Amino acid sequence: MSCPSFDWKAYALNGLDAEERREAETHAATCSSCRMELATLRLTLDALSSLREEEVPRRIAFVSDKVFEARWWQVFLRPSFAAALVLALAIVAHGFLVRASVDAAVAKAVAQVQEQNQKQMTGILADYELFSKQLTRMYAMNTGLVRQ
Amino acid sequence: MIFREVEDRDLIAKARRGDVEGYNLLVSRWEKRVFNYLLRLVSNREDALDLSQDVFLKAYQNLRKLDDPARFSAWLFRIAHNEAFSLLRRRRPDVELAHEPRPQEPVSGMFPVELSLAVESALGRLSEDQREAVLLKVYQGFKFEEMAEILECPVSTVKSRLYTALDLLKTTLAPAILRGES
Repeated sequence: MSCPSFDWKAYALNGLDAEERREAETHAATCSSCRMELATLRLTLDALSSLREEEVPRRIAFVSDKVFEARWWQVFLRPSFAAALVLALAIVAHGFLVRASVDAAVAKAVAQVQEQNQKQMTGILADYELFSKQLTRMYAMNTGLVRQ
Repeated sequence: MIFREVEDRDLIAKARRGDVEGYNLLVSRWEKRVFNYLLRLVSNREDALDLSQDVFLKAYQNLRKLDDPARFSAWLFRIAHNEAFSLLRRRRPDVELAHEPRPQEPVSGMFPVELSLAVESALGRLSEDQREAVLLKVYQGFKFEEMAEILECPVSTVKSRLYTALDLLKTTLAPAILRGES
């Protein structure tokens, strides 16, 4: 029978603080019944710790279970989805911006071509008018209507 | 243990955002401990496995109710305790028969397998409450305060159950081991 003032179970389970531990050890050095109590407790705990943990027969996983699927709004919070969304928006925005700049460039080129055509046409008309005048004059000279 | 808590907290946060893989990782960290606790408590492998599935399913469904992620282990074992005792209550007549005193098996020399059998037999003779106290303290290493939280009872009750269990185990195991050694 061990002395009732010492909690040897707490001692064996490392449940005493340093001071209580030291007191218990000092007492055990001089009390054979407490030493016996402690030895049997340690033997019991050693025997209990000989029982090994068993492996889980099957892996517990829930990937395929319906209940573990994310709710519809949780899909939007996933980083992969957010990244894909940003990328898609960037592509669409880029498409709009590129198209606008292409339209502006085409309009500018068309205007330049139109201006160039206008100039060419004016030149041609001017040349034609000059040529026409020269032709009329040459004809008149040949027919004697005009003196040389 | 601190690192484990930090990583558990991270995995809990991921699982709360719907990250199934994060939760599966959390399960893989705890499944062995939970399974063994349930196995020793209900003494049936298939039941322990089914209960483990239920425990982790309930934990996932209620993860948002966990106020402090640092207390995840006690919270998880609280769910396991509830599931196990729910099953034990359903099959009460069988359990009572199973825990009637069995004749002491002769122990003539303690090989590891025999020692394990003797321990299993001695644990089987304890009441469910006593056995659970031993499982949580000796095998799972919980503090008395955590055990009180898991079992929803005062620390004094937890200590009383554990100490009574240790006295019974000591009476059964120590003489058998000493006989085997002699």
